[in-house]
Amino acid sequence: MEGKSIFTRNRSVPIFIGLLALFTLGVTILSEGYGTGALSVSFTKVLGMTLCLCLAALAMDLVWGYCGILSLGHFAFFGLGGYMIGMWLMTARTEAVVRANLAGNVIPPTEAEVSTATALQIFSVVGAEDWPWMWAVSDSLVLSLLLVVLIPGLLALVFGWLAFRSRVTGVYLSILTQAMTLALSLYLFQNDTGLRGNNGLSGLQNIPGAEGIGQDRISIWFFWASALALGIAYIGAAWVVSGKFGNIVRAIRDDEQRVRFLGYRVEGYKLFVFTLTAVICGIAGALYYPQAGIINPDEIAPIASIYLAVWVAIGGRGRLYGAVIGAAVVSLLSTYFTGGRAPDIDLGIYTIEWVDWWPVLLGLGFVLVTLFAPKGLGGLVDLIVRKDKA
Amino acid sequence: MSTLLEVQGISVTFDGFRAINNLSFTIGQPEMRAVIGPNGAGKTTFMDIVTGKTRPDEGSVRWGEMGHSLLSMSEAQIAQAGVGRKFQRPTVFEDQTVWDNLRIALKKPRGPFSSLLDRVSAEDRTRIDEIATEIGLAHHLQRQAGVLSHGQKQWLEIGMLLAQDPRLLLVDEPAAGMTTEERNHTTDLLKRLARNHAVVVVEHDMEFVRRLDCKVTVLHEGSVLAEGTLDHVMADERVIEVYLGR
Ligand SMILES: Nc1ncnc2c1ncn2[C@@H]1O[C@H](COP(=O)(O)OP(=O)(O)OP(=O)(O)O)[C@@H](O)[C@H]1O
Ligand SMILES: [Mg+2]
Repeated sequence: MEGKSIFTRNRSVPIFIGLLALFTLGVTILSEGYGTGALSVSFTKVLGMTLCLCLAALAMDLVWGYCGILSLGHFAFFGLGGYMIGMWLMTARTEAVVRANLAGNVIPPTEAEVSTATALQIFSVVGAEDWPWMWAVSDSLVLSLLLVVLIPGLLALVFGWLAFRSRVTGVYLSILTQAMTLALSLYLFQNDTGLRGNNGLSGLQNIPGAEGIGQDRISIWFFWASALALGIAYIGAAWVVSGKFGNIVRAIRDDEQRVRFLGYRVEGYKLFVFTLTAVICGIAGALYYPQAGIINPDEIAPIASIYLAVWVAIGGRGRLYGAVIGAAVVSLLSTYFTGGRAPDIDLGIYTIEWVDWWPVLLGLGFVLVTLFAPKGLGGLVDLIVRKDKA
Repeated sequence: MSTLLEVQGISVTFDGFRAINNLSFTIGQPEMRAVIGPNGAGKTTFMDIVTGKTRPDEGSVRWGEMGHSLLSMSEAQIAQAGVGRKFQRPTVFEDQTVWDNLRIALKKPRGPFSSLLDRVSAEDRTRIDEIATEIGLAHHLQRQAGVLSHGQKQWLEIGMLLAQDPRLLLVDEPAAGMTTEERNHTTDLLKRLARNHAVVVVEHDMEFVRRLDCKVTVLHEGSVLAEGTLDHVMADERVIEVYLGR
């Protein structure tokens, strides 16, 4: 079984990639931009965003399901990725608008004037008018893309190094990651930290250089990019966990002390997985927020990272596709119930408003899955497949 | 025979209780040593100290020709330096196959990147097959370690120890859960290993110790009570008292 390609070694890979390709084709055919128009632009965006959430869940499964690190902070990395690309989107877009406004002037504006006017436009909402230092590279797409990878990666590296080196594990580590997330979101809520406080970054759906192109097409482009990223990440993740590295990581999950006595530096392995998955989350966030159009510190709230863990738990840990199924099912249901799509139920004396009752439903679902399908929704897939073989 | 491990004057206290009390111990390479003693004598704690799991309050643990101190090294570094261990309670990775358990124990580079790119060479395959035959698990390679019997898990852990190819083997109660035949096989294996390794065996079973036919160290209340041949130490009055007194 060794030496063969990952497609034959892990049967879920060809199936997953096939289904993802079919899904992408189907959405494209039904899209407004390139197909019949049966799917609205906003729903296309929801589907694209769902793929990004699946990507984050895949990372969560690597770090928790395989390596046993219950990080309750990975959505912070997701948000950071969004902020990094958001700075570029907002700068480029605002600058284009400013240039258009100043174009009518008799004397053409200097670059300095454009820059000043752009900064004023972006930061007046928090009472500032100068470029904060962290926007230093926001005029460069290449450098901004680099930050999408570097910032979550570096934060994870430093945080992980401190935590793993001190052998913080289990629930203590989970609490520590929550603290990190909370600190980050509180920091971002400040108006003077340079990222527009609770206003966040907005207008991210406007892609610079694609002004003449409608959202009907752009939404499909992002859907494709998200599907591609998910597909590549799935193959990569399957490869990472398939070999000796996967064996060691699972061994660390089950008994890390024993792994040390075999001569492996457990901290190094954990740090590797923690940082790699943070980077994946950053990339997922950078694809998500241009589809969402807006990012604010609420997105990084500690509860978001807990939801990420809940998706993976409901989908089933340690099987990759489980995390994807969990994230897709739960986040789509959540959109359905909280997005005003589900009709409220009038009971006469009381009206069930789904916006309020969705968390209860989710909690109930979580308990039911834990009780009756401890391997998650992904475990049910196993049952079907095994029946097939018999 | 040169000294491989030299433990000098170590003491460990757990919540005021002295588990190890000014213990000194030396073993060379190659050498076989049996360590016996009543329950709670500190045999396992001694191994914990050598492997870096427990830090002594005082004393020194020196290793190898250069006399490096093991006390400043992490568990992983100590293992990489050549100290291998079989635990009293068999600890294998139950969620993984016998083959996978042996594979991760195999002596190869231990870094994350090496593991990521590791390919199973023909050499590795042969080695794993050899070990599997030695430990009687050749027909169980693709089974989950968790479904093995207690005795088979013991063997698997011994196999992992062999795969690690350490210079010093610390073997804690290997015979528990084994049939007489398997015990004999284990003693043969350990004696063969002791031809070019340092082997420390903790065992309660006196027949087993007798078959090892080596120098015996008796531990009691955290220090060495007697040392010598099995017959010599069993004739020692204090040893008799300790064993009868429990
Ligand atoms: N981590 C610990 N915390 C507290 N006490 C400990 C710890 N480890 C060992 N002890 C105590 O130290 C003493 C020595 O234990 P140890 O396990 O070394 O004995 P042993 O000689 O291996 O006994 P056995 O033959 O039963 O395996 C025991 O009284 C034990 O309760
Ligand atoms: Mg013991």
